[in-house]
Amino acid sequence: MSSRSNALRYYVLSRLMLAPLMIWTITTVVFLLMRATPGDPVDALLGPRAPIEAKEALRSQLGLDKSLFLQYLDYLGHLLRFDLGSSIASQGQTVWQIIGDHFPATVELTICGLAVAAIVGITVGSVAASRPNTPIDAGGRLFGILTYATPMYWFGMILQLVFAVQLRWFPIGTRFPLAQTPPDGPTGLYLLDSLLHGNLSQFGTSIYHLALPSLTLGILISGVFERMVRVNLKQTLRADYVEAARARGIPEFRIITVHALKNALIPVITILGLTFASLLGGTVLTEVTFSWPGLANRFFEAISQRDYEVVQGLMTFFGTIVALVSIAIDILNAYVDPRIRY
Amino acid sequence: MLVQLLGRRLRPLRALGYYIGLFSLCLVFAVACGGGADQETSTPAASNGRVTMGTTLSARTLDPADAYEIFPGILLYNLGDRLYTYAPGTTTLEPQLATEMPTISDDGLTYTIPLREGVMLHDGSAFNAEVMAFSIQRFMDNGGRPAFLLSEKIDTVEATGEYELTVSLQQPFAAFTSLLTFWGVTPVPPDTYTIGEAQFKPEEFVGSGPYKLASFSSDVIKLDANPDYWGDVPENKGIDIQIFTSPANLYNTFQSGGLDVAYQTLDPDQIAALERDADRGGWTVIEAGSTVVNYMSLNQKIAPFDDLNVRKAVAAMIDRNLLNDRAFQGQAEPLYSLIPKSFEVHEPVFEQAYGDGDYGKAKEFLEEAGITEANPLEFEIWYPTSSTTRSVVANTLKEAIESNLPGLVNVQVSTAESATLWENVEKGIYPSVLANWYPDYFDPDNFVQPFLSCNEGSEETLCEKGATQGNGSFYYSAKTNDLLTKQSAELDESVRSDLFQDLQQAMVEDVPYIPLWQNKDYVFSASGVGGVAIEPNQQFLLWQISK
Repeated sequence: MSSRSNALRYYVLSRLMLAPLMIWTITTVVFLLMRATPGDPVDALLGPRAPIEAKEALRSQLGLDKSLFLQYLDYLGHLLRFDLGSSIASQGQTVWQIIGDHFPATVELTICGLAVAAIVGITVGSVAASRPNTPIDAGGRLFGILTYATPMYWFGMILQLVFAVQLRWFPIGTRFPLAQTPPDGPTGLYLLDSLLHGNLSQFGTSIYHLALPSLTLGILISGVFERMVRVNLKQTLRADYVEAARARGIPEFRIITVHALKNALIPVITILGLTFASLLGGTVLTEVTFSWPGLANRFFEAISQRDYEVVQGLMTFFGTIVALVSIAIDILNAYVDPRIRY
Repeated sequence: MLVQLLGRRLRPLRALGYYIGLFSLCLVFAVACGGGADQETSTPAASNGRVTMGTTLSARTLDPADAYEIFPGILLYNLGDRLYTYAPGTTTLEPQLATEMPTISDDGLTYTIPLREGVMLHDGSAFNAEVMAFSIQRFMDNGGRPAFLLSEKIDTVEATGEYELTVSLQQPFAAFTSLLTFWGVTPVPPDTYTIGEAQFKPEEFVGSGPYKLASFSSDVIKLDANPDYWGDVPENKGIDIQIFTSPANLYNTFQSGGLDVAYQTLDPDQIAALERDADRGGWTVIEAGSTVVNYMSLNQKIAPFDDLNVRKAVAAMIDRNLLNDRAFQGQAEPLYSLIPKSFEVHEPVFEQAYGDGDYGKAKEFLEEAGITEANPLEFEIWYPTSSTTRSVVANTLKEAIESNLPGLVNVQVSTAESATLWENVEKGIYPSVLANWYPDYFDPDNFVQPFLSCNEGSEETLCEKGATQGNGSFYYSAKTNDLLTKQSAELDESVRSDLFQDLQQAMVEDVPYIPLWQNKDYVFSASGVGGVAIEPNQQFLLWQISK
């Protein structure tokens, strides 16, 4: 077995061992943050006018009368049993049920948004890099800056006004028409479910509703990809092997698409993964702008309802996803790029 | 070599590229061929007699023992029945699950209510006095948010016959029949619901009303018409409710033809735009007065509002018409008493006593309080961060007061997150706060008790425990408490009316609050949709909507 294989294995192992530590840190910070925020969960449940006896009974039932340390131990104990708690506002619904109900919508929006971002970002970045120091290159830069700086809700509203209100090409938001029955399981991803059921009409309707939110999300994050691709492709196009290819008379288009772009895309993997992870919990602006019933939207609602357990559970869930995906990206990068030291 | 190595390692990327390409092709294909698009936006609710409705209000729970917010209240009003209700379009009480008005004992403590026979609940079980007694007991015992409404009034409730309910009160309460119209006082089956602290069913409802709950989630709620309903069957086959996350989404969706009915909450400029474009868009605008009152609470425990003359001066400074123009584009009504105009006992006492934006009068009160340019009045107005309208109101007040009383009054506008704000209001930290009040039942009692009553305190220490503490005024007056007790027990309407006059007079003399404005309610219905109306008690009768 080569020393490189051993080093890679050691690296993967060390990253995996780091995961519990990262998750523990996240959960502890979440726990402390929730205790530091104003408002009383018992007031949130019973209302401020409830009798003191009823409040005390519920406080005891929820374990809120214990010391902070004991509450923390309870919390960790529940987490070790994968119990993220249950909603205070809508009693009986566990955080896992909420995740099950709303996470597919977020995943679907995130995947489609990323697809749009990748297509737009890579295309614009490649075109800009292939025409260095030209107006096209400047246009690419401007595109990157504008998409990065434009507020999500503003851009979403503009798209709504133009394409939904004025042109009526798309619906305003929501995941499926109110008067129709959405695809029934098994994944909760409407695009996939409709294909699994062989229902092209539902597939078309789902994608029709998904179009504006995913375009909004995708276009606005495409600037990150555009910038990465443009910078890396420019460097790659100055490499010796590219010069050699040019010397052999290979057309420039083929040099870019077949030879240079592959190398330039390596750093994009990292960005793609991290963006995916952060979007799973960070599409809140898109979801709220388009009334998209995703998990981020539900998270926003839980905050406004002061539903502490849901907020805490979802923050832990989102944090864990980001931690796991970032570790996965590290490992993937180490595997793909042998120049990475570990 | 490197290129070959990377080529091998980047095979997954190539596959990803193919997937993205295929996906985008599908996207373009589906969107291009999406004939459903036009159909959906042009005839959104072409759905076999069902009505689509949009709102930004959210429903935390549908448990009648815990629902205390306006939207769950509307849903429960349509999903359930109550013992008494209001005749549509009026404020006249009439029996619903009762067969006649209650028989009240001479001491005003015992209400005997005959009940309707032949009523079936949604689960097929029969309605009777036992079910109603169980439901009322559960409402009180489970400790939900509105539990105090009955638990502070009722001593016992029992079935004294299969179709006769007897309720004993702790003390006489003239508005008790009105209180029985509250949406949560609705029968639920003992087999499905249980009595116990915080034992709620937030996502279910089984009752007796014209609709059955078909589905309930945080973004979509569906009601199906109840074919076995004992009363008039709904004019539609069901209501599909979409909950939007922002007024802009609701506005855009309705405007682009995506909804039959848009109800609460649109911003003033959106309402104005929909009113302006009603003819062109073909929609109908329904406007109704509401009983939601907005006011400024003045904390008498701390300076500067511990001085009565300062409170009177601020009452005189308030220019309600200016507020209505600037903050609401005329979509509110200036309010001069905490009892809204919908009640006959309403008297515009603040207008009579202090005028409206009367800065001359304000100066006189300020002089009496020893306020001069060398010793100007400085006070803070607080409001919850989430309320954009109250932000506009607070800043409009600041500008108007400071420009009309330059050098004499400085106003600081401050905001805090809602939970923190109300906690601090109760602790007496803020000198003044902008607040609103959604009534629980349609009786003037509900506009005086929550504002003026205080259980513990004295005129020296002010309120130490009671409603006025919760409202942040800490008002305490033995005379007012006495008037409140009397009006609560008084069954003679004319005597009670006089007592309300006295209470409004006490309010204007002591100025614990300054009434500001009364909301107007708007609902918009698309072409071809009829029967949309807002009731005087702010209820929205969905079963009347036809299309």
